[in-house]
Amino acid sequence: MFKRKPLPMLRAQSVLTTLAAVALLVLVGLPVVFILLQAVFPDFARGSFAGAFSKLAILTENDRLLMQARNTLMLAFSVMFGCLVFGLPVGVLRGLFHVPGARIWDVVFLIPFLIPPFIAAIAWMMTLQPRGYLFQLLGFDLGGFLFSFTGVAFVMTLNLFPLVYFAVSRALEMVGGRFASAARVHGARPVQAFFLITLPLSIPAIAASLLIVFAMSIEEFGTPAALAARTGFDVLVTGIYTRLSDWPIDMSGAALGSTMLMAMVLAAFALQNWIATRRSYISQTGKPADLEKTDLGAWRWPVIGVFSLVALIGVVIPLAAIAVTSLTGTISGGLAWSNLDTRHYVPLFQKGSRATQALITSGWLAVVTAFATAVIGGLVAYIVVRGTGRGRAIMDGLSVLPNAIPAIVLAVGIILAWNSPFLPLTLYGTAGILLIAYIGILLPYPIRYAVARLRQISGSLDDAARVAGATQMGSLRHITLPLMAPSLIAAMMLVFAIASRELVASIMLAPAGLRTVGTFVFAQFEQGSVQTGMAMSMVAITITSGILLVVNLWLARQGSSAFSG
Amino acid sequence: MLRTTALAASIGLLGTMAHADTLTFYTAGPGGLADALAEAFEAETGITVNVFQASTGQVMARLEAEEANPQADVVVSASWGSAEEMHARGLLMEYTSAHAETVPDFLKHSHYAAQGVSALAMVWNSQSDVPRPEEWSDLTDEVYRDLVTMPDPSQSGAAFDLVAGLEAAMGDDAWDLLAALADNDMIVPGPNAAALNPVLQGAKAVVFGAVDYISYGQAASGESIEVISPASGTVIAPRPMMILESTANADSARAFVDFVLSDAGQALVAQTYLMPARTDVEGLRPGINDLTIIDVDADAATARRDEIIARFNETVINR
Repeated sequence: MFKRKPLPMLRAQSVLTTLAAVALLVLVGLPVVFILLQAVFPDFARGSFAGAFSKLAILTENDRLLMQARNTLMLAFSVMFGCLVFGLPVGVLRGLFHVPGARIWDVVFLIPFLIPPFIAAIAWMMTLQPRGYLFQLLGFDLGGFLFSFTGVAFVMTLNLFPLVYFAVSRALEMVGGRFASAARVHGARPVQAFFLITLPLSIPAIAASLLIVFAMSIEEFGTPAALAARTGFDVLVTGIYTRLSDWPIDMSGAALGSTMLMAMVLAAFALQNWIATRRSYISQTGKPADLEKTDLGAWRWPVIGVFSLVALIGVVIPLAAIAVTSLTGTISGGLAWSNLDTRHYVPLFQKGSRATQALITSGWLAVVTAFATAVIGGLVAYIVVRGTGRGRAIMDGLSVLPNAIPAIVLAVGIILAWNSPFLPLTLYGTAGILLIAYIGILLPYPIRYAVARLRQISGSLDDAARVAGATQMGSLRHITLPLMAPSLIAAMMLVFAIASRELVASIMLAPAGLRTVGTFVFAQFEQGSVQTGMAMSMVAITITSGILLVVNLWLARQGSSAFSG
Repeated sequence: MLRTTALAASIGLLGTMAHADTLTFYTAGPGGLADALAEAFEAETGITVNVFQASTGQVMARLEAEEANPQADVVVSASWGSAEEMHARGLLMEYTSAHAETVPDFLKHSHYAAQGVSALAMVWNSQSDVPRPEEWSDLTDEVYRDLVTMPDPSQSGAAFDLVAGLEAAMGDDAWDLLAALADNDMIVPGPNAAALNPVLQGAKAVVFGAVDYISYGQAASGESIEVISPASGTVIAPRPMMILESTANADSARAFVDFVLSDAGQALVAQTYLMPARTDVEGLRPGINDLTIIDVDADAATARRDEIIARFNETVINR
């Protein structure tokens, strides 16, 4: 009698755990195993196990690899710092105060994710280099700044600062009102309440977003490829790319470099995990949350000024450079009314054109990826935070995997794993393989966001539901899931935005005949049609931001928001 | 529900990808040409051509990664040496198209033939304040200080061929020339497009060793640039077209190669400002006979690739 009752619950959890574990193993574990095998066996891609460990000498003999590793770390820390400078103030303001046009700002700060980093870097180059747009408008250039370590970090910061903005604003909305009020009741001044209560309670979210910034900046390819080569500033990911895309290909060297990248992200994750779990950050106990925000009063205009400044540098200037370039007849013609020309848009709107196909392909890939990552990521996060026993420990380890793997490395692992001659059936050579890659690459968002969120939701809510007679699945469905939903929806929107213009995995994996927005734009640039590439970027950015705006407004009407608690 | 939708979407796509009569074509640029050839061929034969277009390095990387389970039927690379290497490894099918009769002997082989040919040139922005250069060595002059770019030989097969060619023609003087260019603050920003873009906007004035056809096309669309082929000689980069031995569609693959070398196919090649491989098809730009061509032993250059790249990096990039 007493033994029978808990069984169905345990079974439900073990089924969920198994499902999530299988998903993680297939999507991420398998490619990693193949990469590690490749790192050890140089001829593994040809089906041979000969010469084991013969390439490991590169690690000790190659100063270049170590220099690239050092540069990668320096860059990642600079970008994290930059993202704090750019993202933290606006995030704090957005989370605690009634900022005029808050929802609009949310969509505006999503735009950096819609701009392919490669294109953003080119846009900054065309703006700041000698005789660039800045020079043509104002008579001076900032080429010296752009083509430097600081310049690369600056452009990458502008790509990534929204991660901090969204994480911080959401976390503060959650803990800001009620806890700060409690502190105020006990006599704290607003500033004290912020630094003693609100900010510390937001640390898991901030640390999680910085971890993603770190992971994304060490795996970022587009910006270093476009800018760092001009400065002789090499990073690991460009080194890996060179090893993979320079013929003859050095799979083992790439696999070794990838292993170093993975080690870096794992170390960062360990640090973040330590910060997030050494104290309890539960702030969501199920009592009616007081989401009242403070009015800005006289600070209204200065705050709008800060938001506008960040938007100007992070969004308006690169977007304007892309728009202007797409509308110039010739690059050498520069900024002149006579050079205004829409001809580069014409091929994009021809019925059945490759550009239209690319937009449709990227569209459905991004939508399916967003839903799939939310389902898998939410499940994984739930088990990591709420699970018990062995399942949880395994899942905790596995959940780090997606973070630890740069997109390009995962792509190569997927080729090795899914193109194996031993498989009776493979998705390789179909669009399905891109889906697998996208989901694997973008899983970190839902996992990290949902984990951070769940750590703030008290387990006593579950217990209360269970005491009241709900099954575990019931309490998951009616209590935990609704509380997780805002984080998952925010993560889905990020995933959608990034997937809609993903580049590196698409180059490596898209089957012949299939084009995505990213590969289309990249190919246009490589073929010398800078303006067509920029025109396509404009069209894609417009469509994607339009969709996100509509979704956000719809959520607002439902009384919820992707970006608020 | 969501997962069901996702699954249905991917399964639905699987169905559409597995056509019976399809050909898989991996090619280095130009992308527009690959699409045009695919469409014209499909219109003529009803065979669908799936195009994967990327740089030579990416095409080769993909072929190597797929070696256990090859996907491509026909491949065009921008590096003659890559075809030689693939042939040496027994990856290519023997085929000589009937249309290859007027392709010069040095542009064909029992297992591959050129689709088209480009040459390496200087590209000069005529609105820049510097004089029009005539010779490679002009660019070491003080007036071009900090105004010259060059594609990276490790990323651009054509730029590699140029370095190898200059070395073949000039011996050690070629390395002195490159060192002098480096002393003149020439930058090496990456592959072709990365070297050309700053020159288009005027941030820099001249590309040393650009692939010429892209610039001819841009000049034709109104950019203020000029393609200059030095009288002392330049290097050509034939683009080998080959059928993989592993193909399951040998007949379609042969038909496609025939089509590319046909009058219609070569006309499409010419429209991209490449030199057609066939001497009896008119190009839109100076042809092989109008250029002074440095003879490069592609085999020998390929064999010394690592050494040449290392010396280039030492002389120019990490000097």
